[in-house]
Amino acid sequence: MTLKQTAAPKPDAAPVRRTAGRPSHRLQRYGPAYAMLLPFALLFIVFLVYPLIRSVYYSLTDFNAIRPPTFVGFDNFAELIANDDRFHKAVWNTVKYVIGSVTLTMVLGLLLAVAFKSTSLRDRLMRTVFFLPSVSAGVGVVLVWKWIFMVDSWGLANTVARFFGGENKSWLADPAVSIPILVTMAVWGGAGYAMVLFVAGINAIPDELYEQASIDGASKARQFWHITLPLLRPVLVFVFITSTIGAFQIFEPVYLLWRRSASIVGGPLDSALTIVPYLYDMGFNRFQLGYASAIAWILFAIIFLVTLVQLRVTKTFKEFDR
Amino acid sequence: MSVDTLSTAGTVVKRPKKINAGAELARLPLYLWAAVVLIPFWWMIIAAFKSVPELMRNPPTFFPQDPSLDSFYDPNAPAAGGEPNPDAVPGVFQRWPDVAGGFLRFALNTFGVTVVVTVASLLIASLAAYMLTKTAAPGRRTVFVVVISSMMIPWQVSLIPNYLLVSDLGMTDSYLGYIVPGLAKSFVVFFLVQYLRSIPDELVHAARVDGASEWRIWWQIVLPLLRPALAAMAIFVALGEWNNFLWPLIIIRTEELFNLPIALSNLSNAIVSSPGSMGVAMAASMMATLPTVVFFFLFQKHFIKGIALSGIKA
Repeated sequence: MTLKQTAAPKPDAAPVRRTAGRPSHRLQRYGPAYAMLLPFALLFIVFLVYPLIRSVYYSLTDFNAIRPPTFVGFDNFAELIANDDRFHKAVWNTVKYVIGSVTLTMVLGLLLAVAFKSTSLRDRLMRTVFFLPSVSAGVGVVLVWKWIFMVDSWGLANTVARFFGGENKSWLADPAVSIPILVTMAVWGGAGYAMVLFVAGINAIPDELYEQASIDGASKARQFWHITLPLLRPVLVFVFITSTIGAFQIFEPVYLLWRRSASIVGGPLDSALTIVPYLYDMGFNRFQLGYASAIAWILFAIIFLVTLVQLRVTKTFKEFDR
Repeated sequence: MSVDTLSTAGTVVKRPKKINAGAELARLPLYLWAAVVLIPFWWMIIAAFKSVPELMRNPPTFFPQDPSLDSFYDPNAPAAGGEPNPDAVPGVFQRWPDVAGGFLRFALNTFGVTVVVTVASLLIASLAAYMLTKTAAPGRRTVFVVVISSMMIPWQVSLIPNYLLVSDLGMTDSYLGYIVPGLAKSFVVFFLVQYLRSIPDELVHAARVDGASEWRIWWQIVLPLLRPALAAMAIFVALGEWNNFLWPLIIIRTEELFNLPIALSNLSNAIVSSPGSMGVAMAASMMATLPTVVFFFLFQKHFIKGIALSGIKA
């Protein structure tokens, strides 16, 4: 929108005006501008655009990094979509993880935002506590979780389980709890982040609306449904879409929690295998680079389609509100 | 209009604030949850200061009974190749004996790479953002559309070809191959463009009329104006780089070049064979995580503002 504004020729944009049409003068006039774009453009083309083009080509080849790639058409995609059970498992696991982590992160983030939105000392302190995990994301934190879910009786998870009358169990060896463990970690690390975004959104809503509503006798719950939620929608949509995209790309927890040797990725019975770890396994353990490239493009297609659906759905809600 | 009149008469509307016992009671589970959120941090810190026998005590202790620094440096640990001792494992600073400086070296590597990537990528992006918003150079709209579209493609798609490209260029296992491919950050350009659009063009035009060069306008006018946006982006980029894992995992082989996440992941392999090393892993995790937490407390305002900005601008 604002693009059009700046695109309109400004009379005082540059000293030479009348000759701007000719290419040589254009270059003279905009030379510095293009020179400023150059570092970014160069890196962007060499390390993103060109690799992407190569990736499209590789995805259509049989390529094992030793022999040159041979063109196989859409065989990789056909194999992945029709036959590869391990890939299907990875997609299904990823979908379960995305639904679980995004839903819980958003609901709990919103709950925290509503509970601790003010500038009082207590609320700021609580927000700091809940935000802390998202600051300290990374390998170190995954190791802490690994330590917590340690098989042996001295692990924290087992100690807590025993306290509540349960028995020691091998958390990381039980396929049934693999995805719940990943979701727990995601919510621990992500709810505070969502909360900060929601707090900013909620505090941007004018107080007058709430005052008016309480004069009209609307209960807190009704105010939440009819003022907070609709006005927060842009932020909700933003968190919904960005956290979904991020969740689809999960790698580190899967790779680190269940790795026993360099070549085993995915946990017991592949119960924790998600798309990116599978891509890593195919590409960098088995050197099926063509196949792995096809996985990457399917990941893109999935994220793209899901984002489109999300935009569509949230738009429907928008029309519904009116 | 009616809203305006209401707020001027607001004194009538506002009821005296009373402490709502019900609301406090409803918050109780949230306080409990806050405590639970902190437990992993607590568990990490105490594990770093426990001795090996205490680490494996059942039930575990929630305060170190006999705090020790053995996980950092254990004088009783057997030398490399010596008789293994179940109660004494080499501390964080005794691991990687082949690397000068050991763990400290990895911390310095991570710090150096983080600073270089943050500064370089922000400068590059701010130049591009200035060109895209405040000049009339033809083609800039197309460029912007291409940059935005690229943000939709997950970066893993370019992972394999980038790895092959970097090996073709002979840059694997070097800082060059580690740093350079990640310098063009589309989301930073996007964010800075959004921010620059809210800054009136007149400032730039006035400088141009006065005869200032584009480079000078960028350096002396645009960069200072961009400061809040740059601060927000610097935090994002720096945190991301501090925790960067998959790319260095693929590109770096030599131990000297490890960053902290790679070193930590190596430690996690050691744990599988000897659970007593868990204290060492926790000590290392603590030292890797602590800087980000300190960084957060120092720049808390920028953090929160940056996140809020990213949500509202987008």
